[in-house]
Amino acid sequence: MLVQGHAAAPRAALSLHQQACAACHGMDGNAPLEGVPSLAGQPAVFIETQLVYIREGLREVPSMQGVVQSLTDSEITLLSRWYAAQPTRSQKAPRDAAAFARGQTLAQKALCGTCHMPQYQGQQQVPRLSGQREEYLQATMTLMRSGKAAGRDTIMTTALDGLNAQDLNDLAHYFAQRD
Amino acid sequence: MKKVSRITLASAVAAGLMGLAGPSLAQAWKQGMTPEQASSTLAPHAGKATVTPAAEIPISKLKLPKGFVAEIWSTGTPGGRAMAMGDNGKIYVGTRALGRVYEVTDNGKERTSRVVVDKLTQPAGVAFQNGSLYVMAIDKVLRFDGIEKNPSVAPVDMTAAFQLPKEQHHNWKYIQFGPDGKLYVPFGAPCNICELPSQEYAQIRRYNPDGSGMEVIATGVRNSVGFDFHPQTKELWFSNHGRDWMGDDMPNDTLHRLGKSGSNFGFPYCHEGSLPDNTITKADACKGVEKPVALMGPHAAAMGVTFYTGRQFPKEYQGAALVARKGSWNRTKKIGFDVVMVRANADGTAATVSPFITGFLDEASDTFWGRPAYMLQMKDGSLLLSDEQLGAIYRISYRG
Repeated sequence: MLVQGHAAAPRAALSLHQQACAACHGMDGNAPLEGVPSLAGQPAVFIETQLVYIREGLREVPSMQGVVQSLTDSEITLLSRWYAAQPTRSQKAPRDAAAFARGQTLAQKALCGTCHMPQYQGQQQVPRLSGQREEYLQATMTLMRSGKAAGRDTIMTTALDGLNAQDLNDLAHYFAQRD
Repeated sequence: MKKVSRITLASAVAAGLMGLAGPSLAQAWKQGMTPEQASSTLAPHAGKATVTPAAEIPISKLKLPKGFVAEIWSTGTPGGRAMAMGDNGKIYVGTRALGRVYEVTDNGKERTSRVVVDKLTQPAGVAFQNGSLYVMAIDKVLRFDGIEKNPSVAPVDMTAAFQLPKEQHHNWKYIQFGPDGKLYVPFGAPCNICELPSQEYAQIRRYNPDGSGMEVIATGVRNSVGFDFHPQTKELWFSNHGRDWMGDDMPNDTLHRLGKSGSNFGFPYCHEGSLPDNTITKADACKGVEKPVALMGPHAAAMGVTFYTGRQFPKEYQGAALVARKGSWNRTKKIGFDVVMVRANADGTAATVSPFITGFLDEASDTFWGRPAYMLQMKDGSLLLSDEQLGAIYRISYRG
């Protein structure tokens, strides 16, 4: 069953990544596709936890369901450590200086760095924001603000409360533009 | 016409309450932070969602008093915390984020586990009575009749009868049946520190097992997730988590005794029975507030409370309250991550707190490997201890 992850011999992380993940999340874990998050450089615990939640339907990602269903706990751990060790390679759009500045101020005011760390590199169960795809950040924060991001920390609904669509765009632009 | 005016009145009342609540609940996580704390990176510790094999659990690091032994009893239950024992000895284990309830079966040589139910919203509360398993999630109450004999029994949904409030924060449960046969359920404050959005929170209630006959038996309780009943007086003794962001050394978590039904324990105005809050203030903040039996350490996360009533442990443990402290996050230097023994008179006076199980925390490096959460006394007088971090259950026994 679900909880007996260590029973099956784990396949090597790299081959798992190539077979199951690379097509969407990128060969090096930096996602080339719109709407798909980069996993390179994300904290291992964050990836591990989210993969378990997605596998078990606590976080609903229909396109991921079939892919992660057969993964054991130990395979998920191996994959998570591999992604955490991959260098991030930003694929930045041109910078909008005004949006960047507004986003920077908002991020400071909202104390994003308390949990996401001062360089927004994430820690433990908290994801890296720096260098993440802009449209993914924007869409995810919009979902979180409305309380519909099942399986993600409910604190995010509270943290984004009161921010409007423009604010979320600015925040997404600022984080995506960071290294 | 009548109907319309009722609705209008209801919204007016709701709006009034919102007004009283001050800053929106939504910002609760950082409420009470001082300007100097804005650059703090203290955040709750990550749980672990995957199985930890026994070989990866450093059980030998645990330190116990002479004559005690700790061993790994079962593994493979990620996030497992409160435990309830069935009539035939099966152990049921609740979780928070993982949404599962496990059943652990002991065949005498080894333990196996299965998932009884999953995809619930923080089903932390488990209790067992008259052949039925009760599971309480934040927004759902389920009863599994005869589950030990019929593993695939469909649950009875009892949610409506319990009238659970809607806010999620601090509303994961610890539940237990009392000596009076009633189900005791705490409802935490949905914030770090705030005026309550409505009176349904920061209280402990008891219900008949079917959800009827609800009574509020304690108020002003910020977040209790552990309690037990005194073996002599049958009174409720409960742990309570103090607020965050008031500094490294205050307020303390507390251990309380409910001497009189309806007593007030101070939240949000007063902590520890004597310390006025610095954010939500009023005159005579601690007037009429019950004093704790013992201070359990600032931010230490005092969880499970178990009165030891067995004969296996030495005399000094018999009748003492064992309290698991899951360990701090909102403190520059970590504390807790242990089990302590509280000895006190039956009326709660003259309490002393002393270490029992330590070694989860390495003080030199300020790092931890496990988080002791709840205990369950076995029929032979040994003690099960859940480690929520590694999804394991340890067995503590005395061999002299």
